[in-house]
Amino acid sequence: MSRWTKFLIAVLLGAAAGLFYGWVVNPVEYVDIAPSSLRVDYKTDYVLMVAEAYQADHNLGMAVRRLARLGNSAPTDIVANALSYALQHDYASQELSLLQSLGENLLTWDPNQEVPFP
Amino acid sequence: MKQERRGSWYLLTGVILGLVMGLVYSWVISPVRYVNAPPYALRQDYQDEYRALIAAAYLYKHDLARAQQRLANLKDDESAQAITMKAQQALAEGYPDDEVRALGILALALTQGLTPKVGDITSTAVSTPVPAFGDQTATPLFIEPSVSPTVTPTTEAAPLILNQTPQPSIASGPSSAVNSTPTQGAAFTLQERRLVCNPQQPEPLIQVQINDAEGQPVSGIEFLVRWEGGEDQFYTGLKPELGMGYGDFRMIPGGVYSITPVNGGQVIEGLKAAECTSEAGNVYWGSWLLSFEQP
Repeated sequence: MSRWTKFLIAVLLGAAAGLFYGWVVNPVEYVDIAPSSLRVDYKTDYVLMVAEAYQADHNLGMAVRRLARLGNSAPTDIVANALSYALQHDYASQELSLLQSLGENLLTWDPNQEVPFP
Repeated sequence: MKQERRGSWYLLTGVILGLVMGLVYSWVISPVRYVNAPPYALRQDYQDEYRALIAAAYLYKHDLARAQQRLANLKDDESAQAITMKAQQALAEGYPDDEVRALGILALALTQGLTPKVGDITSTAVSTPVPAFGDQTATPLFIEPSVSPTVTPTTEAAPLILNQTPQPSIASGPSSAVNSTPTQGAAFTLQERRLVCNPQQPEPLIQVQINDAEGQPVSGIEFLVRWEGGEDQFYTGLKPELGMGYGDFRMIPGGVYSITPVNGGQVIEGLKAAECTSEAGNVYWGSWLLSFEQP
């Protein structure tokens, strides 16, 4: 076996060890994550909470600001995704109605009148 | 011999080089991504927002079990205490009235187990039928361009109604329009005003203890504190460990304060920080304890 082959094998072994250490033994830990990284069911519940809060306070701007925490997508898309998930997972009809209502009302939201982030 | 020594060194160099490459790739280029994180992994400020959202959602139909279930996702040791602390923080830091109110109501519900009359809360005001499960499409109905957003919720935010009487509504927040729920029964009157000397609590406080006509502590009562050039408010019940009818306000030595229950009651004037002396001769600040009661 040539010296270069041995060298490459050594590099590969080192890389494998590095990957194993970096991915398994001591991976990067995200303990301070943002809501956008929530699991899809938690995200859906988050959107549902926004919808419930909206039914209580009728503050569309606040609902948009809360939804903005879930990422850069349009608020209607975020609610649409939540509604799709809720439909697929047999959420209660009242909860589906809440999401539906929020989505409909978001269509009336004028971003020029609201500042998405405080 | 010389060749073999060189061989072992370059092998070690190769391993180290590979290790560095592996670490760079796994930590920088393609680190582990947490895309399916639970709420308890949220950053602290996002957790606070999450709690506030739970409280805001709780106002929809006052489903305490659901709120508790959601709070459990944050894995707080004491959910009620966490919400209470958040409510106090929100009040102290001038958060929006609605947020303070929601947190206060949820905090009280968690600590007292208060259950509103759910039947008084109109259910969801959605007139658009939900798409039938059999008609599911990838795109939900509301984002279809042809749908006119004509649905407007018709219900008002349902105030929390307590079963106890004459306990007042706890739906109180600073200057909030929803505070209009009048206090039932007569106005609160001062029963006792005394200086409390407690070396363990050396801050000059105005402490209030408020009871209803039956002698039961009343939470959620807003007090207005005025002094020359300013005013502030505080609420009873946000320190449940000291009693649900307890509330306090920290005075600045030298200031003269007046205090009154916002929803009606006697105005107490001329309150100022007073000194106490311990047995050892140490001087510290005492607190004024004001006991109010409904006649």
